[in-house]
Amino acid sequence: MNRFLILVCFMLCPSQQLVAQKVIARQGRIAFFSYTPVENIKAENNQVLSIIDFSNGRIAVSMLMNAFIFEKALMREHFNESYVESDLYPKATFEGEILDFDPLLKEQQTRIINGNFTMHGVSQALEIKTKIDYKDGNYEVSGSFEAMVNDYEIKIPPLLAGNIAKVITVDFRFEYEPYQE
Amino acid sequence: MSPIKNNIVLVILLFLAGISGSAQDLLQILEEERPEQLQYAEATFKTTRITFGHSVETRKKGILEIFVANRFWDSPAPRSQSFFADRLSTRFAMEYAATDRLSTGLGGTTWDGLFDGFLKYRLFRQSDGKEGPPVSVTLFQNASYYSKGEINPAIEDAFADRISFTTQALIASKVNRNLSLQLAPTFVHKGVSYYGEPNNDHFALGIGGRYKLGSHLSFVSEYYWLLNPAEAPQTFGPFSVGVNWEIGDVMLQFMLTNAVGMVEEAFVTGTRNNFNFRSPNLNFGFNVAYIIHFKRNLRN
Repeated sequence: MNRFLILVCFMLCPSQQLVAQKVIARQGRIAFFSYTPVENIKAENNQVLSIIDFSNGRIAVSMLMNAFIFEKALMREHFNESYVESDLYPKATFEGEILDFDPLLKEQQTRIINGNFTMHGVSQALEIKTKIDYKDGNYEVSGSFEAMVNDYEIKIPPLLAGNIAKVITVDFRFEYEPYQE
Repeated sequence: MSPIKNNIVLVILLFLAGISGSAQDLLQILEEERPEQLQYAEATFKTTRITFGHSVETRKKGILEIFVANRFWDSPAPRSQSFFADRLSTRFAMEYAATDRLSTGLGGTTWDGLFDGFLKYRLFRQSDGKEGPPVSVTLFQNASYYSKGEINPAIEDAFADRISFTTQALIASKVNRNLSLQLAPTFVHKGVSYYGEPNNDHFALGIGGRYKLGSHLSFVSEYYWLLNPAEAPQTFGPFSVGVNWEIGDVMLQFMLTNAVGMVEEAFVTGTRNNFNFRSPNLNFGFNVAYIIHFKRNLRN
Protein backbone atom coordinates (compact mmCIF):
# COMPACT_ATOMS: atom_id res chain seq x y z
CA MET A 1 0.00 0.00 0.00
CA ASN A 2 2.79 2.36 0.98
CA ARG A 3 4.60 1.66 -2.24
CA PHE A 4 1.46 2.44 -4.15
CA LEU A 5 1.07 5.82 -2.41
CA ILE A 6 4.67 6.74 -3.10
CA LEU A 7 4.13 5.84 -6.73
CA VAL A 8 1.08 8.09 -6.92
CA CYS A 9 3.06 10.89 -5.31
CA PHE A 10 5.86 10.50 -7.81
CA MET A 11 3.40 10.55 -10.63
CA LEU A 12 1.71 13.73 -9.44
CA CYS A 13 4.39 15.78 -7.77
CA PRO A 14 7.07 16.11 -10.48
CA SER A 15 4.55 17.17 -13.06
CA GLN A 16 3.31 19.87 -10.72
CA GLN A 17 6.81 21.09 -10.05
CA LEU A 18 7.77 21.23 -13.70
CA VAL A 19 4.62 23.06 -14.71
CA ALA A 20 3.09 25.01 -11.87
CA GLN A 21 -0.66 25.32 -12.18
CA LYS A 22 -0.51 29.06 -11.83
CA VAL A 23 2.17 31.73 -12.01
CA ILE A 24 1.94 35.19 -10.49
CA ALA A 25 3.69 38.52 -11.08
CA ARG A 26 3.66 40.82 -8.07
CA GLN A 27 5.77 43.65 -9.41
CA GLY A 28 4.56 43.92 -12.93
CA ARG A 29 5.35 47.13 -14.73
CA ILE A 30 2.92 49.14 -16.79
CA ALA A 31 3.89 52.45 -18.36
CA PHE A 32 1.79 54.72 -20.49
CA PHE A 33 2.73 57.56 -22.78
CA SER A 34 0.89 60.48 -24.25
CA TYR A 35 2.76 62.36 -26.94
CA THR A 36 1.53 65.73 -28.17
CA PRO A 37 3.40 68.69 -29.66
CA VAL A 38 2.64 70.62 -26.46
CA GLU A 39 3.66 68.13 -23.83
CA ASN A 40 4.82 64.55 -23.36
CA ILE A 41 3.32 62.73 -20.45
CA LYS A 42 4.71 59.50 -19.08
CA ALA A 43 3.62 57.45 -16.10
CA GLU A 44 4.77 54.21 -14.56
CA ASN A 45 3.28 51.67 -12.21
CA ASN A 46 5.64 49.04 -10.79
CA GLN A 47 3.18 47.27 -8.52
CA VAL A 48 0.88 45.66 -11.04
CA LEU A 49 -0.40 42.20 -10.16
CA SER A 50 -0.93 39.52 -12.75
CA ILE A 51 -1.67 35.82 -12.74
CA ILE A 52 -1.78 33.12 -15.41
CA ASP A 53 -3.60 29.84 -15.05
CA PHE A 54 -1.78 27.27 -17.19
CA SER A 55 -4.64 24.81 -17.10
CA ASN A 56 -6.77 26.99 -19.35
CA GLY A 57 -4.44 29.79 -20.51
CA ARG A 58 -6.40 32.45 -18.72
CA ILE A 59 -4.66 35.62 -17.58
CA ALA A 60 -5.72 38.40 -15.21
CA VAL A 61 -4.11 41.77 -14.43
CA SER A 62 -5.01 44.21 -11.68
CA MET A 63 -3.51 47.60 -10.85
CA LEU A 64 -4.21 50.51 -8.56
CA MET A 65 -4.60 53.73 -10.48
CA ASN A 66 -3.07 55.84 -7.72
CA ALA A 67 0.13 53.78 -7.86
CA PHE A 68 1.10 55.40 -11.16
CA ILE A 69 4.11 57.67 -10.79
CA PHE A 70 4.29 60.65 -13.09
CA GLU A 71 7.18 62.76 -14.21
CA LYS A 72 5.54 65.73 -12.50
CA ALA A 73 4.02 65.23 -9.05
CA LEU A 74 1.08 67.49 -9.80
CA MET A 75 0.13 65.38 -12.81
CA ARG A 76 -0.46 62.41 -10.56
CA GLU A 77 -2.88 64.49 -8.49
CA HIS A 78 -4.73 65.71 -11.58
CA PHE A 79 -4.77 62.19 -13.08
CA ASN A 80 -6.38 60.66 -9.99
CA GLU A 81 -8.64 63.53 -9.04
CA SER A 82 -9.84 64.95 -12.36
CA TYR A 83 -9.37 62.30 -15.04
CA VAL A 84 -9.60 58.65 -13.93
CA GLU A 85 -11.41 59.54 -10.68
CA SER A 86 -9.54 56.91 -8.70
CA ASP A 87 -11.67 57.50 -5.62
CA LEU A 88 -14.63 56.04 -7.52
CA TYR A 89 -12.67 53.63 -9.71
CA PRO A 90 -9.52 52.71 -7.78
CA LYS A 91 -8.51 49.80 -10.03
CA ALA A 92 -8.00 48.94 -13.64
CA THR A 93 -8.26 45.26 -14.49
CA PHE A 94 -7.75 42.96 -17.43
CA GLU A 95 -9.15 39.47 -17.82
CA GLY A 96 -8.52 37.37 -20.85
CA GLU A 97 -7.09 34.33 -22.50
CA ILE A 98 -3.75 33.64 -24.14
CA LEU A 99 -4.61 31.95 -27.42
CA ASP A 100 -2.69 28.73 -28.24
CA PHE A 101 -0.44 29.14 -25.23
CA ASP A 102 1.86 26.19 -24.58
CA PRO A 103 3.43 26.42 -21.12
CA LEU A 104 5.74 23.54 -21.91
CA LEU A 105 7.42 25.42 -24.74
CA LYS A 106 10.62 26.68 -23.16
CA GLU A 107 11.40 29.36 -25.72
CA GLN A 108 10.14 32.72 -26.87
CA GLN A 109 6.66 32.64 -28.34
CA THR A 110 4.43 35.35 -29.70
CA ARG A 111 0.78 34.96 -28.84
CA ILE A 112 -2.43 36.93 -29.03
CA ILE A 113 -4.20 37.74 -25.79
CA ASN A 114 -7.90 38.32 -26.06
CA GLY A 115 -9.80 39.88 -23.23
CA ASN A 116 -11.54 42.78 -21.54
CA PHE A 117 -9.79 45.78 -20.10
CA THR A 118 -11.76 47.71 -17.48
CA MET A 119 -10.78 51.23 -16.46
CA HIS A 120 -12.78 54.18 -15.16
CA GLY A 121 -15.73 51.79 -14.93
CA VAL A 122 -15.73 51.08 -18.66
CA SER A 123 -14.91 47.68 -20.22
CA GLN A 124 -13.39 47.40 -23.67
CA ALA A 125 -12.48 44.27 -25.61
CA LEU A 126 -8.78 44.19 -26.46
CA GLU A 127 -6.63 42.00 -28.65
CA ILE A 128 -2.99 42.33 -27.68
CA LYS A 129 0.02 40.84 -29.43
CA THR A 130 2.29 39.59 -26.69
CA LYS A 131 5.80 38.24 -26.41
CA ILE A 132 6.13 35.38 -23.94
CA ASP A 133 9.69 34.63 -22.85
CA TYR A 134 11.01 31.79 -20.76
CA LYS A 135 14.03 32.90 -18.76
CA ASP A 136 15.74 31.02 -15.92
CA GLY A 137 12.69 28.92 -15.29
CA ASN A 138 10.30 31.85 -15.16
CA TYR A 139 7.90 33.29 -17.67
CA GLU A 140 8.01 36.87 -18.79
CA VAL A 141 5.14 38.46 -20.68
CA SER A 142 5.57 41.80 -22.41
CA GLY A 143 3.99 43.87 -25.13
CA SER A 144 2.14 47.06 -25.79
CA PHE A 145 -1.24 48.25 -26.92
CA GLU A 146 -3.03 51.48 -27.60
CA ALA A 147 -6.06 52.85 -25.79
CA MET A 148 -8.33 55.66 -26.86
CA VAL A 149 -9.00 58.12 -24.04
CA ASN A 150 -12.52 58.59 -25.40
CA ASP A 151 -13.35 54.88 -25.13
CA TYR A 152 -13.06 55.01 -21.35
CA GLU A 153 -15.24 58.08 -20.89
CA ILE A 154 -12.34 60.14 -19.53
CA LYS A 155 -13.19 63.78 -19.97
CA ILE A 156 -10.53 66.24 -21.04
CA PRO A 157 -11.44 69.93 -20.82
CA PRO A 158 -11.20 71.69 -24.20
CA LEU A 159 -8.49 73.99 -22.86
CA LEU A 160 -6.21 71.02 -22.20
CA ALA A 161 -7.16 69.00 -25.27
CA GLY A 162 -3.83 69.91 -26.88
CA ASN A 163 -1.84 68.61 -23.93
CA ILE A 164 -3.23 65.09 -23.78
CA ALA A 165 -3.06 62.66 -26.69
CA LYS A 166 -6.25 61.02 -27.91
CA VAL A 167 -4.48 57.69 -28.16
CA ILE A 168 -2.41 56.53 -25.22
CA THR A 169 0.34 53.94 -25.73
CA VAL A 170 0.57 51.37 -22.97
CA ASP A 171 3.65 49.17 -22.41
CA PHE A 172 3.64 46.24 -20.04
CA ARG A 173 6.08 43.68 -18.71
CA PHE A 174 5.35 40.99 -16.15
CA GLU A 175 7.81 38.55 -14.66
CA TYR A 176 6.05 35.54 -13.23
CA GLU A 177 6.98 33.14 -10.49
CA PRO A 178 5.18 29.97 -9.38
CA TYR A 179 2.10 30.69 -7.33
CA GLN A 180 1.56 28.69 -4.13
CA GLU A 181 -2.06 28.40 -3.16
CA MET B 1 -13.44 -1.60 0.98
CA SER B 2 -9.80 -2.46 1.40
CA PRO B 3 -7.44 0.11 2.94
CA ILE B 4 -5.62 0.42 -0.40
CA LYS B 5 -8.80 1.37 -2.18
CA ASN B 6 -9.57 3.83 0.61
CA ASN B 7 -6.25 5.53 0.03
CA ILE B 8 -6.76 5.72 -3.72
CA VAL B 9 -10.09 7.42 -3.16
CA LEU B 10 -8.40 9.83 -0.74
CA VAL B 11 -5.64 10.67 -3.23
CA ILE B 12 -8.17 11.20 -6.03
CA LEU B 13 -10.25 13.41 -3.76
CA LEU B 14 -7.21 15.50 -2.81
CA PHE B 15 -6.27 15.81 -6.47
CA LEU B 16 -9.77 16.91 -7.40
CA ALA B 17 -9.78 19.39 -4.53
CA GLY B 18 -6.60 20.89 -5.96
CA ILE B 19 -8.18 21.28 -9.39
CA SER B 20 -11.42 22.80 -8.10
CA GLY B 21 -9.34 25.28 -6.08
CA SER B 22 -7.58 26.41 -9.24
CA ALA B 23 -10.86 27.17 -10.95
CA GLN B 24 -11.28 30.10 -8.56
CA ASP B 25 -11.63 33.50 -10.20
CA LEU B 26 -8.19 34.86 -11.09
CA LEU B 27 -9.01 38.48 -10.28
CA GLN B 28 -10.22 37.30 -6.88
CA ILE B 29 -6.80 35.77 -6.23
CA LEU B 30 -5.07 39.01 -7.23
CA GLU B 31 -7.25 40.93 -4.78
CA GLU B 32 -6.12 38.65 -1.97
CA GLU B 33 -2.49 38.98 -3.05
CA ARG B 34 -2.49 42.76 -3.01
CA PRO B 35 -0.52 44.04 -0.03
CA GLU B 36 -2.55 46.11 2.41
CA GLN B 37 -1.75 49.76 2.00
CA LEU B 38 -2.97 52.79 3.83
CA GLN B 39 -4.73 55.05 1.33
CA TYR B 40 -4.57 58.76 1.95
CA ALA B 41 -7.20 61.27 0.95
CA GLU B 42 -5.72 63.06 -2.04
CA ALA B 43 -6.36 66.68 -2.96
CA THR B 44 -8.49 67.84 -0.03
CA PHE B 45 -8.03 71.20 -1.68
CA LYS B 46 -6.15 71.61 -4.91
CA THR B 47 -4.65 75.00 -4.16
CA THR B 48 -2.46 75.93 -1.22
CA ARG B 49 -5.05 78.62 -0.36
CA ILE B 50 -8.79 78.15 0.00
CA THR B 51 -9.36 81.78 -0.98
CA PHE B 52 -7.15 84.20 0.99
CA GLY B 53 -6.21 81.83 3.79
CA HIS B 54 -3.94 78.82 3.64
CA SER B 55 -5.39 75.35 3.12
CA VAL B 56 -3.92 72.11 4.48
CA GLU B 57 -2.37 71.40 1.09
CA THR B 58 1.35 71.59 0.64
CA ARG B 59 3.09 71.03 -2.65
CA LYS B 60 5.15 67.94 -3.37
CA LYS B 61 8.91 68.04 -3.03
CA GLY B 62 10.74 70.15 -5.56
CA ILE B 63 7.79 72.26 -6.66
CA LEU B 64 8.21 76.01 -6.91
CA GLU B 65 4.99 77.95 -6.99
CA ILE B 66 5.01 81.48 -8.37
CA PHE B 67 2.07 82.97 -6.56
CA VAL B 68 0.58 86.31 -7.55
CA ALA B 69 -2.46 87.51 -5.65
CA ASN B 70 -4.39 90.65 -6.56
CA ARG B 71 -7.18 92.59 -4.89
CA PHE B 72 -9.13 95.27 -6.73
CA TRP B 73 -11.50 97.68 -5.06
CA ASP B 74 -13.08 101.06 -5.50
CA SER B 75 -12.78 104.16 -3.36
CA PRO B 76 -16.00 105.39 -1.75
CA ALA B 77 -15.89 108.58 -3.87
CA PRO B 78 -19.13 108.92 -5.86
CA ARG B 79 -17.30 109.63 -9.11
CA SER B 80 -14.16 107.98 -10.31
CA GLN B 81 -12.23 108.05 -13.57
CA SER B 82 -10.01 105.06 -12.83
CA PHE B 83 -9.70 102.34 -15.40
CA PHE B 84 -11.28 99.10 -14.15
CA ALA B 85 -10.75 99.72 -10.44
CA ASP B 86 -9.61 102.55 -8.18
CA ARG B 87 -7.21 100.56 -6.05
CA LEU B 88 -5.04 97.54 -6.60
CA SER B 89 -2.92 95.56 -4.21
CA THR B 90 -0.68 92.73 -5.36
CA ARG B 91 1.25 90.16 -3.41
CA PHE B 92 4.11 88.54 -5.30
CA ALA B 93 5.45 85.39 -3.74
CA MET B 94 7.71 82.43 -4.37
CA GLU B 95 6.72 79.32 -2.51
CA TYR B 96 8.91 76.25 -2.51
CA ALA B 97 8.31 72.72 -1.22
CA ALA B 98 11.52 71.44 0.35
CA THR B 99 9.92 68.06 1.10
CA ASP B 100 6.49 66.55 0.56
CA ARG B 101 5.58 67.86 4.00
CA LEU B 102 7.49 71.11 4.43
CA SER B 103 6.82 74.21 2.37
CA THR B 104 8.20 77.66 2.67
CA GLY B 105 7.47 80.97 1.01
CA LEU B 106 8.49 84.60 0.74
CA GLY B 107 6.27 87.39 -0.44
CA GLY B 108 5.75 91.10 -0.65
CA THR B 109 2.53 93.10 -0.85
CA THR B 110 2.36 96.39 -2.73
CA TRP B 111 -0.50 98.14 -0.91
CA ASP B 112 0.71 98.01 2.67
CA GLY B 113 4.38 97.24 2.05
CA LEU B 114 4.17 94.03 4.01
CA PHE B 115 6.96 91.51 3.50
CA ASP B 116 6.21 88.04 4.74
CA GLY B 117 7.77 84.64 5.04
CA PHE B 118 6.19 81.41 6.14
CA LEU B 119 6.81 77.78 7.00
CA LYS B 120 4.11 75.22 6.52
CA TYR B 121 4.41 71.66 7.78
CA ARG B 122 2.07 68.83 6.94
CA LEU B 123 1.70 66.93 10.24
CA PHE B 124 -1.00 64.34 9.45
CA ARG B 125 -2.66 63.21 6.31
CA GLN B 126 -6.22 62.03 6.33
CA SER B 127 -6.51 58.33 5.54
CA ASP B 128 -9.44 56.46 4.10
CA GLY B 129 -9.10 53.33 6.19
CA LYS B 130 -9.75 52.65 9.84
CA GLU B 131 -6.13 53.23 10.72
CA GLY B 132 -4.60 56.67 10.64
CA PRO B 133 -6.10 60.06 11.43
CA PRO B 134 -9.54 60.97 10.05
CA VAL B 135 -8.39 64.55 9.36
CA SER B 136 -5.42 66.25 7.76
CA VAL B 137 -3.46 68.62 9.98
CA THR B 138 -0.98 71.21 8.76
CA LEU B 139 0.92 73.63 10.97
CA PHE B 140 1.54 77.12 9.71
CA GLN B 141 3.84 79.82 11.02
CA ASN B 142 4.58 83.15 9.42
CA ALA B 143 6.34 86.37 10.19
CA SER B 144 5.77 89.67 8.43
CA TYR B 145 7.56 92.99 8.36
CA TYR B 146 5.63 96.20 7.86
CA SER B 147 7.87 98.41 5.71
CA LYS B 148 5.70 101.50 5.19
CA GLY B 149 6.96 104.85 6.50
CA GLU B 150 5.87 106.09 9.85
CA ILE B 151 3.33 104.06 11.75
CA ASN B 152 2.45 106.56 14.41
CA PRO B 153 4.59 109.56 15.36
CA ALA B 154 3.58 109.18 18.97
CA ILE B 155 5.10 105.76 19.41
CA GLU B 156 8.67 104.62 19.11
CA ASP B 157 9.50 103.05 15.77
CA ALA B 158 11.51 99.96 16.64
CA PHE B 159 12.16 97.03 14.32
CA ALA B 160 10.42 94.64 16.71
CA ASP B 161 7.29 96.79 16.59
CA ARG B 162 7.02 96.24 12.85
CA ILE B 163 7.15 92.46 13.02
CA SER B 164 3.98 90.36 13.34
CA PHE B 165 3.55 86.63 13.76
CA THR B 166 0.71 84.27 12.91
CA THR B 167 0.47 80.68 14.07
CA GLN B 168 -2.18 78.38 12.68
CA ALA B 169 -3.24 74.79 12.98
CA LEU B 170 -5.08 73.92 9.79
CA ILE B 171 -7.40 70.97 10.31
CA ALA B 172 -9.28 69.69 7.29
CA SER B 173 -11.40 66.78 6.29
CA LYS B 174 -12.30 65.60 2.83
CA VAL B 175 -15.86 64.66 3.74
CA ASN B 176 -16.59 63.13 0.35
CA ARG B 177 -15.19 63.49 -3.13
CA ASN B 178 -16.84 66.88 -3.60
CA LEU B 179 -16.92 68.44 -0.16
CA SER B 180 -13.90 69.42 1.94
CA LEU B 181 -14.09 71.45 5.15
CA GLN B 182 -11.40 73.16 7.16
CA LEU B 183 -11.07 74.65 10.63
CA ALA B 184 -8.17 76.94 11.40
CA PRO B 185 -7.52 77.96 15.00
CA THR B 186 -5.31 81.02 14.61
CA PHE B 187 -3.14 83.09 16.89
CA VAL B 188 -1.88 86.48 15.73
CA HIS B 189 0.70 88.56 17.51
CA LYS B 190 0.61 92.00 15.99
CA GLY B 191 3.77 94.02 16.36
CA VAL B 192 2.42 97.00 14.50
CA SER B 193 0.44 99.20 16.81
CA TYR B 194 -1.24 101.97 14.88
CA TYR B 195 -3.07 103.54 17.78
CA GLY B 196 -0.96 102.36 20.69
CA GLU B 197 -3.54 99.70 21.52
CA PRO B 198 -2.33 97.64 24.45
CA ASN B 199 -3.63 94.25 23.35
CA ASN B 200 -1.76 92.94 20.37
CA ASP B 201 -2.48 89.25 20.73
CA HIS B 202 -5.52 88.02 18.86
CA PHE B 203 -7.26 84.69 18.60
CA ALA B 204 -9.34 83.73 15.61
CA LEU B 205 -11.05 80.70 14.15
CA GLY B 206 -11.06 80.22 10.42
CA ILE B 207 -13.79 78.21 8.76
CA GLY B 208 -13.51 77.28 5.11
CA GLY B 209 -14.69 74.80 2.57
CA ARG B 210 -14.79 73.81 -1.05
CA TYR B 211 -17.40 72.10 -3.11
CA LYS B 212 -16.41 70.65 -6.45
CA LEU B 213 -18.56 71.87 -9.31
CA GLY B 214 -16.71 69.85 -11.94
CA SER B 215 -13.49 67.96 -12.33
CA HIS B 216 -11.48 71.18 -12.64
CA LEU B 217 -13.69 73.76 -10.97
CA SER B 218 -14.72 74.20 -7.36
CA PHE B 219 -16.75 76.63 -5.30
CA VAL B 220 -14.93 77.93 -2.22
CA SER B 221 -15.76 80.07 0.76
CA GLU B 222 -13.95 81.15 3.88
CA TYR B 223 -14.53 83.16 7.04
CA TYR B 224 -12.31 84.09 9.98
CA TRP B 225 -14.06 84.75 13.25
CA LEU B 226 -11.92 87.10 15.34
CA LEU B 227 -12.52 86.27 19.00
CA ASN B 228 -10.93 89.37 20.54
CA PRO B 229 -10.84 92.17 17.98
CA ALA B 230 -9.03 95.36 18.83
CA GLU B 231 -11.31 98.03 20.30
CA ALA B 232 -10.10 100.65 17.88
CA PRO B 233 -10.04 100.80 14.95
CA GLN B 234 -13.06 98.64 14.34
CA THR B 235 -12.35 95.50 12.31
CA PHE B 236 -14.53 92.80 10.83
CA GLY B 237 -14.09 89.14 10.11
CA PRO B 238 -12.78 88.53 6.59
CA PHE B 239 -15.23 86.66 4.41
CA SER B 240 -15.02 85.40 0.85
CA VAL B 241 -16.84 83.44 -1.81
CA GLY B 242 -15.16 82.36 -4.98
CA VAL B 243 -14.25 79.72 -7.49
CA ASN B 244 -10.97 77.90 -7.96
CA TRP B 245 -10.06 76.63 -11.38
CA GLU B 246 -7.10 74.44 -12.30
CA ILE B 247 -5.65 74.22 -15.78
CA GLY B 248 -2.69 71.90 -15.60
CA ASP B 249 0.24 73.78 -14.10
CA VAL B 250 -1.77 76.96 -13.63
CA MET B 251 -4.29 77.45 -10.86
CA LEU B 252 -6.61 80.41 -10.81
CA GLN B 253 -8.69 81.70 -7.93
CA PHE B 254 -11.44 84.26 -8.29
CA MET B 255 -13.17 85.67 -5.25
CA LEU B 256 -15.33 88.39 -3.78
CA THR B 257 -14.17 89.43 -0.35
CA ASN B 258 -13.98 92.24 2.15
CA ALA B 259 -10.35 91.45 3.01
CA VAL B 260 -7.74 93.67 1.41
CA GLY B 261 -4.86 91.89 3.11
CA MET B 262 -3.28 88.80 1.65
CA VAL B 263 -1.03 87.99 4.60
CA GLU B 264 -2.53 86.31 7.66
CA GLU B 265 -2.11 89.07 10.22
CA ALA B 266 -3.39 91.64 7.70
CA PHE B 267 -6.64 89.91 6.83
CA VAL B 268 -7.38 88.36 10.21
CA THR B 269 -6.89 91.48 12.31
CA GLY B 270 -6.82 94.29 9.77
CA THR B 271 -10.01 94.00 7.72
CA ARG B 272 -11.59 97.38 8.16
CA ASN B 273 -14.83 96.88 6.26
CA ASN B 274 -17.62 94.38 6.58
CA PHE B 275 -18.65 92.25 3.63
CA ASN B 276 -21.18 93.91 1.35
CA PHE B 277 -21.43 94.99 -2.26
CA ARG B 278 -20.63 98.68 -1.77
CA SER B 279 -17.37 100.51 -2.27
CA PRO B 280 -14.83 100.18 -0.76
CA ASN B 281 -16.11 97.10 1.05
CA LEU B 282 -16.22 94.83 -1.96
CA ASN B 283 -12.91 93.52 -3.20
CA PHE B 284 -12.48 91.44 -6.27
CA GLY B 285 -9.67 88.97 -5.74
CA PHE B 286 -7.72 87.17 -8.41
CA ASN B 287 -4.89 84.77 -7.58
CA VAL B 288 -2.64 83.01 -10.07
CA ALA B 289 -0.36 80.16 -9.07
CA TYR B 290 2.08 78.88 -11.64
CA ILE B 291 3.71 75.61 -10.74
CA ILE B 292 7.24 74.66 -11.78
CA HIS B 293 8.54 71.16 -11.08
CA PHE B 294 12.24 71.02 -10.22
CA LYS B 295 12.07 67.34 -9.40
CA ARG B 296 11.32 64.78 -12.08
CA ASN B 297 10.03 61.52 -10.70
CA LEU B 298 10.88 59.22 -13.59
CA ARG B 299 14.26 58.49 -15.02
CA ASN B 300 14.49 57.49 -18.64
